[in-house]
Amino acid sequence: MSGIPRIKVSNYHTFFYQYEFSLLDALEAQNIPAPYNCRGGYCGCCKVRLLEGEVEYVQDSLVDLQADEVLTCCCRPKTHIEVELPED
Amino acid sequence: MSYSTFSPSNHDATREPMFFGRSVNVARYDRQKYPIFEKLIEKQLSFFWRPEEVDLTNDRKDFMGMPDHEQHIFLSNLKYQTLLDSVQGRSPNVAFLPVVSLPELETWFETWAFSETIHSRSYTHIIRNIITEPSEVFDTIVTNPEIIKRAETVTRLYDEFIQLVNIHAVHGAGIHRIDGESYDASLYNLKKKLYLTLVSVNVLEAIRFYVSFACSFAFAERALMEGNAKIIKLIARDEALHLTGTQHMLNLMASGADDPDFKQIAVECEEQVYAIFREAAQQEKEWAEYLFSEGSMIGLNARILGDYVEYITNVRMKALGLSEIFPARQNPLPWMNSWLVSDNVQVAPQEAEISSYLVGQIDNDVDTGDFDGFDL
Repeated sequence: MSGIPRIKVSNYHTFFYQYEFSLLDALEAQNIPAPYNCRGGYCGCCKVRLLEGEVEYVQDSLVDLQADEVLTCCCRPKTHIEVELPED
Repeated sequence: MSYSTFSPSNHDATREPMFFGRSVNVARYDRQKYPIFEKLIEKQLSFFWRPEEVDLTNDRKDFMGMPDHEQHIFLSNLKYQTLLDSVQGRSPNVAFLPVVSLPELETWFETWAFSETIHSRSYTHIIRNIITEPSEVFDTIVTNPEIIKRAETVTRLYDEFIQLVNIHAVHGAGIHRIDGESYDASLYNLKKKLYLTLVSVNVLEAIRFYVSFACSFAFAERALMEGNAKIIKLIARDEALHLTGTQHMLNLMASGADDPDFKQIAVECEEQVYAIFREAAQQEKEWAEYLFSEGSMIGLNARILGDYVEYITNVRMKALGLSEIFPARQNPLPWMNSWLVSDNVQVAPQEAEISSYLVGQIDNDVDTGDFDGFDL
């Protein structure tokens, strides 16, 4: 894929990635209330479902994840992606 | 399976299961069966801190000015945490080291238990600073019936497991009669006890600690006992890491990928696992009642804290793939999050005890292109 990755967030808006450090930072820059705690990949609070696309890791994720889950503090989009935030 | 401190066998540890395989021989970390434990060790080491770094002079003044019922809340929590970390500072080593078979997992247990000893030392640091006679606190831990009631549940599975492992080491696998009591030291039963012990450790770090954390942070929200809250924040960060450790072990076991026996054990023990969570949540709610029995504090009472116990129990159970046992609800203590988040504001490390400051994190990867933007 070429060009700037597009991030689609279920129930929120879609925007272009501005090359923030992590997906979490990108969501925060858009004022999307993405959950987080440790920002270090170990608390698991920022877990979201990756519905579409690929991400690459910027730091180790230490939490046990399902195949379709990613920690937003640990990755950034590699292609256009679609993610779903947890309900609460 | 008798334990050997250094087995000369030349086996490849990456082909062993996590537990009850051959004893670890060479402590080597160049190749790992589960790199996650190596990463946890590195993270834990990067977290290293000392309680003496935190100044508690204002806490002493705050404590003196507290009404009796708030002092009761504060000291009772501190006593309970002292008990929990006394257990955690030694038990993972005593219980799990004799049966572990992977070097990275063995070292994770030791690193984990070591960090708990730092927590224990920090309670001494806090108590020494706020009270003239620390023995008044320490000596009453084992005489407080509310604490002892929970200590029994916290340690029962650990003790039973350690006893069985000892019987197994001396008498070998099988059912043995010792002093008129029958003990099932079969390998399968040992594995079952190990699984349940890990669940109860998970519950200890995932739920039990959080009631005390909530109180410490609630005081600090009122600008009271802020030094203490700083220490508790560092402890909470460590506990979150330990928690992912036991979650990984339990999930790996339940998947059956590491040892097929554990897949069956996870299914067989499901009811007991739910019971362990339920009992812990119940005890913590009773503890909340006890804490506030002499009066509540601004922003926190037994009911809200009880709701928080239910909320956090649900979260922890979901992480292990279990169903929630309490009605779904929003976090009743949303302000807790601001105490559990890592500092993301840029502060010079020498100016504050910034918890995200990592020791030994120098980046040596310099590319020739890195200086392209610079002109002399």
